Amino acid sequence: MDFQLSEDQEALVSALQSILQDHAELPQAERFSYSYFNADLQRLLGESGFLGAARDIGPLEAALVTIETARLPVLVETAATGLVAPMLLPADGPVDGPVALIAGGAIGKAHRNLPIARTALVDLGEDVAVLTIDPADVEPVASILAYPYGRFRAIPDLAAARRLPGAGARLRQWWRVALAAEVAGAAQAALDFTLDYVKQRQVFGRPVGSFQSVQHRLVQCHAHAQSTYYLALRAAWSGEAVDADCAASLAQQGVQKLLFDLHQFHGGMGVTTEHLLHFWLYRIRALQAEAGGVHGIGLEIAGRMWPAATQATGADAAPQIAEAG
Amino acid sequence: MEFGWAPEQEQYRERVKAALDELLPADWDETYVPESYASDLQVHFSREFCAKLAERGLLVPHWPREYGGNESPDWEHFILGEEMKGAGEPRGPQYMNVNWIGPTLMAYGSEAQKDQHVKGIASGKVIWCQGFSEPNAGTDLAALRTRAERDGDHYVVNGSKIWTSYARTADWCFLLARTGPTRKDISILLVPMDTPGISITSFPGVIKDGHLNEVFFTDVRVPVQNRVGEEGEAWKIVTYALSYERVGVPRYHTGLLALELAVEQLKAEGRWDDDPIVRSRAGSIAARFEGARLLTYRVIDQRVHRLPATTDANLSRIASLEAVSDLMNFLGEFVPDCLAGGDPLLEDYYRINIPAGITGGTNEIQLDLVAQRGLGLPRG
Repeated sequence: MDFQLSEDQEALVSALQSILQDHAELPQAERFSYSYFNADLQRLLGESGFLGAARDIGPLEAALVTIETARLPVLVETAATGLVAPMLLPADGPVDGPVALIAGGAIGKAHRNLPIARTALVDLGEDVAVLTIDPADVEPVASILAYPYGRFRAIPDLAAARRLPGAGARLRQWWRVALAAEVAGAAQAALDFTLDYVKQRQVFGRPVGSFQSVQHRLVQCHAHAQSTYYLALRAAWSGEAVDADCAASLAQQGVQKLLFDLHQFHGGMGVTTEHLLHFWLYRIRALQAEAGGVHGIGLEIAGRMWPAATQATGADAAPQIAEAG
Repeated sequence: MEFGWAPEQEQYRERVKAALDELLPADWDETYVPESYASDLQVHFSREFCAKLAERGLLVPHWPREYGGNESPDWEHFILGEEMKGAGEPRGPQYMNVNWIGPTLMAYGSEAQKDQHVKGIASGKVIWCQGFSEPNAGTDLAALRTRAERDGDHYVVNGSKIWTSYARTADWCFLLARTGPTRKDISILLVPMDTPGISITSFPGVIKDGHLNEVFFTDVRVPVQNRVGEEGEAWKIVTYALSYERVGVPRYHTGLLALELAVEQLKAEGRWDDDPIVRSRAGSIAARFEGARLLTYRVIDQRVHRLPATTDANLSRIASLEAVSDLMNFLGEFVPDCLAGGDPLLEDYYRINIPAGITGGTNEIQLDLVAQRGLGLPRG
């Protein structure tokens, strides 16, 4: 047991942060956008090897990359591209990214990151379909959720797609690790942003952050962000499905509190897009229901920890999609 | 960064479990645990049990060798605590002795005090109680009113303490008393509980027996040589003492064991397989305990790396308490008979945890500490 980053891990994070610092600013034209995907930074991270961390070093290091990038207001896709895809397709070499993750049962709906994706991994329950995405086939969908959203102009033919038999559980496992890492980074950034705000903003002649009713709730948000951070990293380190479930479950259980409290403490400013808060909060909200959601993942944890004679693990959370689409 | 146990740590856990298997009576779960660890039954048992633990080198393994310890690593001390709590704490009140009373006396006690008390604690046969809280001074400990006035080579103590767990069965009291006019003029006295002038009243409550005692001190004469450190040094010493209790009870461990009991009952009653809401809720609570577990382990890891103390220990208590509260609510909703003639082990878990947010540092104070010292928020 060692909770300290190794020297190599420190060096990785430090090198990454030095690159991210130079790209953290939103372009003026994107100042009021709901989300902003920084394609230049995405390319730079790929060229610098940060998206190859899972293959070259290990999944824990890839999770660290996701946590760090999730702290930025600008978006880059490292979770599916740098962690999930390499863990699912270890023999493939670098997957053409960015990668989108799609629940097969909802393939006709809008999907997170689909407009920027070049590859999609589709959860069919038992199996996984790997789709090559042509941007021309994707119709952008407006959303306050802080990712680019889009839907297929025509439902893709999943039967004709490359299929990974029996890979569904493994996809969901790493999807859960990735979403927990993303929530951990975004939650910590949202909290840091809020702490700065409540220390400055005065009401009734004193800082908002001096009120005990505010302080206690911020500490509870902090506990949630910190717990999620370590659970995500443990799940990446262990490769155990139950650890991934616990990480994602806790990440998603905290969404209600994070969204309500952090919005609350920014008052009216927090509902404007000129304030940065929404970039992190609506990423967290977008991740709330993915890979099973609190209910589905709770069932999986129960199934793994206390299996019932009649209960097949995961059966409730991920029904097989026979021929989605 | 890595999250696994080293082989020697796993072996140590097995050694502790084997000792528990060997030393606990066959009816431990049925007869002793439901009485709870503060009960007279368990406290008496702890004298026998801890003496045997001491013989096996499992009572104070983390202590320095000169005091009978083995200077064992921090993780081993922590593993020992997890397993003891998970077994229903057969050390009874003696977990306090080995965790902080002994180490505090090693640091601040006189040679005579070390010779008598540290050795006594290491033998596993002495029971202590903690004379801190008063009817009007709990969280705000500096408001305590019990006075110790100097009279020659004695102090004369008058006042009362409350919520004094184990008072009925204790041999000694680690007492805080006011010795001067300012809020922080407080000193520590080691008081034999059979000293004339001490009387104890127990009262019933919703938590388990043995905790709810009031101790009255009426002209109790305590020799000056029983004072720990100098007069007025109590704050410094208590702060040191509590640094040994930074993470407190491993509530994720006892919580997950209780959750497992609840699941077993639900399965046996046919209320598990076909109820996805119950299963999902149980799984979600397990995830919360796992989060609390890692925040707690982080604090031990910081100790191992000799990093300065932060408010991370307070944060781990906050996270643990939230999970405990979820579990108690789960029991109330899905296993309500645990409080009405059902599984006595679950009743014990529930009732022990009713004051979980109060004992060992009120949750609101933990929140204040993290907010102001950890997150740097301004005081109101």
